[in-house]
Amino acid sequence: MSRDGWMKKKASAGGDNGWAERGGYMAAKVSKLDEQFKLDAPREKRKEGACSSIFSGVAIYVNGYTEPSADELRRLMMLHGGQFHVYYSRSKTTHIIANNLPNSKIQELKGEKVIRPEWITDSIKAGRLLPYLQYMLYAKQKGLLFPGMTLRQTSEIAGPSQLNARQKLHLPQRSVQASVLGREPSSSGCQNNSVPVSSHSVPQSVQHSSATTQPSLSASGQLITEPRHRNPPHTQPLSNPSLTKQPHRCPQSTPPQEAELKINGLLQTSPDTKSHSKIDEVQECGGKDHPAGASRVVKEAPLSNGHAHLVNGALKPEELCPAADQPSADGDLLRRRAKTSPDKPQSSPVQFHTKPDPYEFPHSPPKQSDQSPDLEEQSSSQGAEQRPKPPPPTHHEAAKASEGHLLPKQPQTPPQLDKTHPSPASLSLSYSSVRLNGSHHDAFPSDAASLSTANTTPDRPAGNSSFSSSSKPSAQLLEQTGGLISEFYSHSRLHQISTWRTGFSEYVNELHSKRKAAGGACFPGKDRLRKLVAQRPTDSQGTSAAVSVKSCILHVDMDCFFVSVGIRHRPELKGKPVAVTSNRGQARVPLRPGANPQVEMQYYQRKYTHPQPEMTDDDDLHRTPSQESPDSHANGMLQETAALSMAEIASCSYEARQAGVRNGMFFGKAKQLCPTLQSVPYDFEAYKEVALSMYEILAGYTHDIEALSCDEVLIDGSALLAEVGVNPHDLAKAIRADIYEKTGCCASVGMGSNILLARLATRKAKPNGQHFLKSEEVDDFIRDLPVTSLPGVGPVMGRKLAAMAVRSCGDLQQVSLSQLQKKFGPRTGQTLFRFCRGLDDRPVRYEKERKSVSAEMNYNIRFTKVDEAECFLTNLSMEVQKRLQDAGLRGRRVTLKVMVRKVGAPLEPAKYGGHGICDNLARTVMLAQSTDSGQLIAAAVIKLLHAMKLQVQDLRGVGIQVQLLEGNQSVRQDGNGLRKRSIKDLLFGQEPSAKSNNRDSPQEKTSSTTAPSACSLPHPLSPAEPVPGTSKEQPASRQTPKRSRSRLNLSIEVPSPSQVDRSVLEALPAELREQVEQSWTRRDGRQNNCRSPGLQLSTANSRPSSPPRPAPASVPALYTPPVGTLLLQIPNQPDSPGIVLELPNFSQVDPDVFAALPKELQEELKSAYSRVTNIQPQAKILEPKNPLLQLKQPGVGLGRVKRRYKRKNAISPVKKGASPLKKRQMTNSPAKTLAPAIKPINILKTETDPSTSSSHPDIPESVTKLIARPAPALAGACDLTDIKTLLREWVTTITEPMEEDILQVVKYCTDLIEDKDLERLDLIIKYMKRIMQQSVESVWSMAFDFILDNVQVVVQQAYGSTLKIA
Amino acid sequence: MTTLTRQDLNFGQVVADILCEFLEVAIHLILYVREVYPSGIFQKRKKYNVPVQMSCHPELNQYIQDTLHCVKPLIEKNDAEKVVVVIMDKEHHPVERFVFEISQPPLLSISSDTLLSHVEQLLRAFILKISVCDAVLNNNPPGCSFTVLVHTRDAATRNMEKVQVIKDFPWIVADEQEVHMQEPRLIPLKTMTSDIVKMQLYVEERTQKT
Repeated sequence: MSRDGWMKKKASAGGDNGWAERGGYMAAKVSKLDEQFKLDAPREKRKEGACSSIFSGVAIYVNGYTEPSADELRRLMMLHGGQFHVYYSRSKTTHIIANNLPNSKIQELKGEKVIRPEWITDSIKAGRLLPYLQYMLYAKQKGLLFPGMTLRQTSEIAGPSQLNARQKLHLPQRSVQASVLGREPSSSGCQNNSVPVSSHSVPQSVQHSSATTQPSLSASGQLITEPRHRNPPHTQPLSNPSLTKQPHRCPQSTPPQEAELKINGLLQTSPDTKSHSKIDEVQECGGKDHPAGASRVVKEAPLSNGHAHLVNGALKPEELCPAADQPSADGDLLRRRAKTSPDKPQSSPVQFHTKPDPYEFPHSPPKQSDQSPDLEEQSSSQGAEQRPKPPPPTHHEAAKASEGHLLPKQPQTPPQLDKTHPSPASLSLSYSSVRLNGSHHDAFPSDAASLSTANTTPDRPAGNSSFSSSSKPSAQLLEQTGGLISEFYSHSRLHQISTWRTGFSEYVNELHSKRKAAGGACFPGKDRLRKLVAQRPTDSQGTSAAVSVKSCILHVDMDCFFVSVGIRHRPELKGKPVAVTSNRGQARVPLRPGANPQVEMQYYQRKYTHPQPEMTDDDDLHRTPSQESPDSHANGMLQETAALSMAEIASCSYEARQAGVRNGMFFGKAKQLCPTLQSVPYDFEAYKEVALSMYEILAGYTHDIEALSCDEVLIDGSALLAEVGVNPHDLAKAIRADIYEKTGCCASVGMGSNILLARLATRKAKPNGQHFLKSEEVDDFIRDLPVTSLPGVGPVMGRKLAAMAVRSCGDLQQVSLSQLQKKFGPRTGQTLFRFCRGLDDRPVRYEKERKSVSAEMNYNIRFTKVDEAECFLTNLSMEVQKRLQDAGLRGRRVTLKVMVRKVGAPLEPAKYGGHGICDNLARTVMLAQSTDSGQLIAAAVIKLLHAMKLQVQDLRGVGIQVQLLEGNQSVRQDGNGLRKRSIKDLLFGQEPSAKSNNRDSPQEKTSSTTAPSACSLPHPLSPAEPVPGTSKEQPASRQTPKRSRSRLNLSIEVPSPSQVDRSVLEALPAELREQVEQSWTRRDGRQNNCRSPGLQLSTANSRPSSPPRPAPASVPALYTPPVGTLLLQIPNQPDSPGIVLELPNFSQVDPDVFAALPKELQEELKSAYSRVTNIQPQAKILEPKNPLLQLKQPGVGLGRVKRRYKRKNAISPVKKGASPLKKRQMTNSPAKTLAPAIKPINILKTETDPSTSSSHPDIPESVTKLIARPAPALAGACDLTDIKTLLREWVTTITEPMEEDILQVVKYCTDLIEDKDLERLDLIIKYMKRIMQQSVESVWSMAFDFILDNVQVVVQQAYGSTLKIA
Repeated sequence: MTTLTRQDLNFGQVVADILCEFLEVAIHLILYVREVYPSGIFQKRKKYNVPVQMSCHPELNQYIQDTLHCVKPLIEKNDAEKVVVVIMDKEHHPVERFVFEISQPPLLSISSDTLLSHVEQLLRAFILKISVCDAVLNNNPPGCSFTVLVHTRDAATRNMEKVQVIKDFPWIVADEQEVHMQEPRLIPLKTMTSDIVKMQLYVEERTQKT
């Protein structure tokens, strides 16, 4: 059914309540539904191939949540000749199917046949209509017999959580299970499960049993216990044949197996582990462990471990279907036989394993002797569990695992798995499908591979499999999860592809460095071009020269890269709609119970069609499950959409695009749109190969390349064109021809005078073409472009813009810059403003600085225990560590991002292993020191996770991001890296990118110290800094970029251009360079005045008048040639005096330590002390700096930092004397005091941290505001509501406030006081009091106290009284 | 419409008129709200489109009028920094101070069409704040009296002495006793920023009133 149909359905269903009374409508509806059902039935049958008429005459009505779902039941009924009623009708409905009914419904339905859904599944399995009596939901007398009942009992023992899981298990029960159950004495609920199986299996069982030498004792036991169920079948399972059966029946049998697997997983690796697992099982099973039964028991146990997600899609309905297809047991038998042979080989390795088991399970004598299939299963399953890897590999591994206990995951390709079906592999497959988290394990029976190809895709890292064994000791967990993660990353295609970009960037970098080294490289492409030009008649050359533009950027983009690579060697697919996807061509996959694709779809539809505030979304969510989902269950039409393959299309050919297929679409949907759509598997090797050759080709022309991705490149052709004298068209043609020749794939080239235009031109060029966007055409061209075609404008922003009635770039041009900036932030607003006019000044960069390193998984995350989550985080941290180390970076800011299932969202998302509808949360913490240690990161993120107080079960995605990076680049920049750095450098070294800049400073410093600056004017980097650093600098470095940025512009003081070493300047990161240059321009005409305008303004009241200041401030700027220092000198604030102040009393300096310092340092210190005496007066004024220090104390980890620094510097911490607050009081204006306090930080930031500064777009605005107007603003926000929002975000999203943020708030408050806006101050203080003191974190209360204290001091100064805070 | 600037002769007067009018209303209201005088002497009136209480005690009214009359020249010249209504206990120690902090915005320009209604709205907000301020203040001890202090800028005091507006109503320098308050606590009430005047009102309250 198309989605349209479903929509209509929905619509009508939505009005259900109101219409219920009107019989006419409902009657019509019911009959229509029936019709639809009848219509669908044959189609369904055709699809499934097998059907029966077991249920003819049966009409079911599904009441409430069932396992399998109503949709599935509906399908089963279709297949097997039954009727399915969406609405209950006393007259027509013969059976009511329910797993669970509320009391009221029970009363209502008294006298009706309320039956558990197992009846249907079992009947199908049995191939005939079983008597429903056994399956009656509320026939107490039969309770023992019914799996459902028994399950419940067991669950009570094991704990409430198990309930759901167990119930689910029941449904899936297969013959195998039955066998297993048979072994277990009556105690377990499993026995009940066996019942249904037994009925159909009887004939087979006999045969099998004969085949197998050992009918297990336990089986006999079972027989006794459950006389009703046919015992013989039970015996079967025990015997080897049972194993063989499993593969065949896989769909049915799998669920139990999986469960077992989980349990087994615990047992597997080492005896110890086994014992653990055993214990767990014992506990969970409530003493169910039976020898042979252990494995079976395990099934249940796993459930308990797995937390019993309600969702555990115990039954894959589809899987059942195949089973159902085989109407008779005979068919099964045949199959079994066929399979038995392959199975046997497997069993042997497994058996090794099994032997240890006996020890573990003393009760199970039969096991040892048997080497029963069960055992085998166990062992294999164990192996499978251990690996995090995708299911497919698991069974091979399992075999290995059994031998080697723990095998590292094998990266097997998914396709293999699928194909391996018939072979023993199939068994393993079923195991492999087990998910780490355990929640799903049950749900995914074996056949996942065959049936749901989508699931088996390589990316599915099987990620959480490790988690299934929740009970394992954490070390084990670690081991497993670790593998899981790296497995995930080694398999995730997206990840792989995304890493390629970095790879290619490096490749380009290498090219550059090689060129430098070799003093020139060969450019075969260029040479060819030259020849071409030479051949050409002169006149054309003339034109080309004329055409050549000042700057020309080429954007080379391969046409549907994955597709064209995928069909390179399959010419028969050319010109056909082709999609690259993991799906094997089936558009449908089994619906997993618990999944509710409708809800998700509705959610997204709503979300996308009407961009609304979050609130409504929530409402929707809440409403949907309760009201609509029952509908959807009952509603047959929904089922189809639900079953569509959710494998995403990575890329599709232009032919497919014409049919409406889009990249990223789910394959099932695409197939509906374009029935002829062919799917092509991923071929990473080929992608890499093609991409590499493309890069090689391009590198043959020029090295001014920026790698955008594996198939997308920017080329700055300006130099090349000028040099060769070609026009861009010829160049593009040559490039495309080259690429086509070498790779067999087409590329399109867009050209324009800047990057933006080049990219836009590419759109026009595609497919397989080229287009040069001439500057005179730009205006017309861009006006009609939809805004979403601008880079950086995604769907979200597109919607926002649409809400502003902006759809085309032309519309966007009408919007004022200020409006845009207000709406999107200063940086984005500016970008939009420029982009929509075709302006873009980004340079083509062959080297890109990394801003963050992160690792994220939002696939297959299902934790059951906090331990697991922690382990996972630890492992993920390790992955981050690996990446950091690979990149040679260290970072200080760690962000934990989690996706949490949205309240009300279905437990199981529509996409296998997907995250479904989630809330995204992020928490950030600053480490005391930049690090690349996974341990440290893990500790930090685990703390963050705990602070978030989430249900680990609801986690759907976890990511760790590390920012504020520092590392190799700096090394690269100045290879001369001096080791003899001053303490200050040590301190500053913590700043991420600081090093690069600071490195320069040492030389400078030394020179300046010795230099003529006898005037004793402090040079910018005063030696004294280290000391204060013990406590102060550290916090400073911890500041967020935000703060620093805001001050950035204000405080930059740069030497005059003539004094700057150009080469050094060029070596600076682009942003920094820009700033320096800007400050030059700003300074023009103001040479005498060293202060930046901004500062002057803000501090105008007090500062300018103080005489001593100007001198020191100006000195650094004028005198210091040193580049490093030059970079940024804060103008009005003579650093040196400030810093000097912080020196401990000379008497307090430990002479030994002093002596131990390097000479330079000693000198610096000495001069600092001498200076101190000179500047006493200033010092006093500056003292207020201390407030910073105070801040730290409440801050996190400060203590640690301090300590560390003490050690390092070996200098006694600075004496602070009077509390900073008191000192503050001495100064008249609050603003004054604050500014100095902040200053050291500023220096740090500006010098060190270009990357961070760039990351925060909002700063520039606030800066301009400061300069332009005195209205107090907090992070650019002036409006009270904005500020409140800001504060609320601050408090709610961050667990531990950072000092600089707090200072920022204090600063804002002081500004308010100065601005005589006490009312607002009062409101804000009260607001903060409210939100901060409510916060769970005591840190926030402390932060508030701190803010309040500071504000009070300022108020006290200004008004002589303190605020009354109610 | 006409645009007034600071250069216009009557600009300062306009501001002063508006403010003095407001201050009069405010003082009456403060006296009522803070129960300095029995509520019996107050009548309900309407000002700024909200109900206010105004004393009908002639001497009191006269005192207030005279005071403001003297304040007006200061405001005209932007010499008054603060106008403070001090409520004192029996010992003439201040227990509460209602401080009207007045300053002029750096750029003055008045376009008459928007001005009046806008300023009136802002002033109304002050009035409303005053009428509810007892919610955030502690009760005053019985037997309170009040006085009005003006904090002037620069040398305005001297000028005042030279030019007395009302002959028999001289300004004197306030006693230290009247000015100093022990452990004052500050409660901001309202702030306004308009084209013609920037004013904020806060209350300083003695921590221990009794």
